Amino acid sequence: MGCVIATKKMMKPRDYKSEVPVVWCPGCGHYGVLDAIYRALAGAGIEPSQLISISGIGCSSRTPYFLHSYKMHTLHGRAGAVATGAQLARPDLTVMVFGGDGDGFSIGGGHMPHMARKNVNMTYVLFDNGIYGLTKGQYSPTSPSAMKAYTTPYGSPDEPLNPLLYMLTYGATYVAQGFAGKPSVCAKLIQDGLQHKGFSYIHILSQCPSFNTVDSVETYREAVAAIPDGHDTSNLGDAMTLARDGVNGGIPMGLLYQITRPTLDERMHAIVQGVSGHKGYDLNRIITLSRP
Amino acid sequence: MEKNDLVIRIAGHGGEGVISTGDFIASACARAGQEVYTFKTFPAEIKGGYAMYQVRTSPDRIYNPGDSFDILCAFNQEAYDLNRHLLVPGTVLVYDQTGDDFVPEIPPGVVAYPVPMSKMAKELKSYRSKNMVALGALSVLFRINEETLIAVLSDKFKKKGEEVLAFNLLAFHRGKALVADCPKKDPWFVPEAGAPKDVILISGNAGVGLGALLGKLEFFSAYPITPATEIAKYVATHLPKVGGVLIQAEDEIASLSQVLGASYAGKRAMTATSGPGLSLMSEMLGMAAMSETPVVVVDVQRGGPATGMPTKHEQSDLFLAVHGSHGDAPRIVLSVEDVSDCIHRTVDALNLADRYQCPVILLSDGSLAFSTQTVPTPKPEEIEIVERKRWDGEGEYQRYQWSEDGISPMADPGTPKAMHMATGLEHGPTGAPNYAPANHDRMQRKRFGKLETVADFIEPVEWDGEGPADVGIITWGSTIGVVREAVARLRREGIQVKGFYPKLMVPMPVEHYEAFASDCKKILVPEVNFQGQLSYMIRAETTITPIPFTQCGGVPFTPLQIMNKVKENLGWDVSLPQKK
Repeated sequence: MGCVIATKKMMKPRDYKSEVPVVWCPGCGHYGVLDAIYRALAGAGIEPSQLISISGIGCSSRTPYFLHSYKMHTLHGRAGAVATGAQLARPDLTVMVFGGDGDGFSIGGGHMPHMARKNVNMTYVLFDNGIYGLTKGQYSPTSPSAMKAYTTPYGSPDEPLNPLLYMLTYGATYVAQGFAGKPSVCAKLIQDGLQHKGFSYIHILSQCPSFNTVDSVETYREAVAAIPDGHDTSNLGDAMTLARDGVNGGIPMGLLYQITRPTLDERMHAIVQGVSGHKGYDLNRIITLSRP
Repeated sequence: MEKNDLVIRIAGHGGEGVISTGDFIASACARAGQEVYTFKTFPAEIKGGYAMYQVRTSPDRIYNPGDSFDILCAFNQEAYDLNRHLLVPGTVLVYDQTGDDFVPEIPPGVVAYPVPMSKMAKELKSYRSKNMVALGALSVLFRINEETLIAVLSDKFKKKGEEVLAFNLLAFHRGKALVADCPKKDPWFVPEAGAPKDVILISGNAGVGLGALLGKLEFFSAYPITPATEIAKYVATHLPKVGGVLIQAEDEIASLSQVLGASYAGKRAMTATSGPGLSLMSEMLGMAAMSETPVVVVDVQRGGPATGMPTKHEQSDLFLAVHGSHGDAPRIVLSVEDVSDCIHRTVDALNLADRYQCPVILLSDGSLAFSTQTVPTPKPEEIEIVERKRWDGEGEYQRYQWSEDGISPMADPGTPKAMHMATGLEHGPTGAPNYAPANHDRMQRKRFGKLETVADFIEPVEWDGEGPADVGIITWGSTIGVVREAVARLRREGIQVKGFYPKLMVPMPVEHYEAFASDCKKILVPEVNFQGQLSYMIRAETTITPIPFTQCGGVPFTPLQIMNKVKENLGWDVSLPQKK
């Protein structure tokens, strides 16, 4: 038996760069995330024409413009739902979703659970800057409590949600967290997410120097802590504890959780195979069922 | 004029077998070569409550459920009470002679047949056999084709075992025996049919599902909603058999989002909903219009606004379908008149979406959703499929390339060298954002302009009659069937009247409206909504001054109502009840 050598084309990060100039504020964490995305795609060796990147609305939702791929810039909050349709239609392609904390957890919060529990085979990179940047600085579902911002001159009355606990609870099969200041770590987490079969959720803390003065790059740098090597990534309870308590109080960075279970398109495929067999039905057989 | 149809209404309590009795009669008539048009109301409760099933049957084509019934079969007091006002002279009442609490008062001129259904069922030690006893009695009294009826019962009950079949046939024959010696006191029989026809008997909702399969649907996503869910059920049962994919979404926003994503990925995709769902989809309709992505949305209208009357009929989503979404968002809106339309217009919708790369909304309504009708059996090989224009691989690919007809080739993801952006932002030919005033103007001209030829690709309107008329009636949706009959009956009375039935609601085929109205003295526009939504559109888009005729009680018009309104407009006194 000879060994099969994959003839995968060697890809470079620049192969994924589109001609559109990247426009974010100076010092924005998203530059680091974008860099990580290019590297992850190259690492995974995905042919650009075989990639569909989909976003909603927000600063980070501009990402598809900067990518060389098939791409959709859709409505605020709906990227994940649109991507679910695209993925089911073309399970042979790679589908990525990009968006922010408001897009994903506020207006799009109704869709997050369902991508996770259905285990839609796609990779969701969420850029969390704890603020609505595109509309010039309103507090978001991940902003710290009492944050003073554009619409909260006396401080926000809300508690932030915990995105990692949220996605773990709803059944995401790959949950990781990175920080924009460490693009190589992010690149690895995204690449592993791309190679994971099922719904991969990569949460990336990304500073917004223009509008979020609480979560600066420096505070993040001090607050993050790598998940220890001994962490059992297949243990949901351990992952939830990490998501809740952090690493000795530090924000956990790395892979929290990964399991495999059938994806939505696999289950759909099984249903189709089960009822139609290989040949498929003649439509006349279905029509006959409606005879009086 | 000789009456050539019969309307039987069965009414009772949910769980008494009202619906299945109606189904058996409808199927038996259809197998015998009759045309059938049924109408039913389900109880709002999950179990129990009032249920009603009306079968209209005739050897000729039937367009609506009829003015009222000829025969009422009342299973209990409530069923009698609720229909008492319709028991006019000439009608027949068949009722359950319980011997105790249910003793209906028989109105003058009404023929009554008391049949001890419950007693017989009790004798057979099965309360559930009551409807079979009733069916047996009805079959004798009104000459329902026994051969086909027994065949229908056999097909239905054989699946449950020989014993079940034998017992139900026993109950059926006992019911027959109960009235065997009863003298016939009324003139009603199921009319004689010709040879059996090649038909299917199918509901509006299932018809939409079948149309979707005939139209080569590949992807379906929907969220449960009354009265549209039966479409999802049909598609869920049969789409996988032909290799298609479907999903139940978390809400209607997600279902249209998924349809948009699947369509971008190259599949023929559709969703089905009712008014509340269409409201939620409004923003995504604009996204489909802006990104020029083909999507089909079927709206089975119900009583609104808000939660409204979910199980009741209304035609009040026309404004929403035509205008719903912010900005100027082009779309095609179709409507259906009957079950046959539900099938074939769904094919049109899928074809038009692909041809014009835009959202297509198909408006059905509550009265068609559950109405079963006989329809000539569709022939899949005769269905024309129009696919979207795809890139030929020549030159440099631009998603929104300028073209004479405004239609730019699409490219499925995975195609080498055609990577592009589909975006909700205003954009230029490549898909790159472009807010320049001239560009926005030009792109809107492209997106609206490409729809100018829609009326050439489908039958946009139907005319019923030519030449001058005292009253021209313009109507849409299931009201068309009611008007067709009213027009025919009025003509027989010597009144000059004609009908105009738009199926393409927008882009509005204005010249057709003008041509129709040019030789009508008056234009009457009946529709089941409060505001007179089509009248409003006619006033806005044409030079016609319509007379709106609206009702919004949750029930369809009857032909008689339309006839009286026409006569009223001719100056007749119609305050006296018109004879049937």
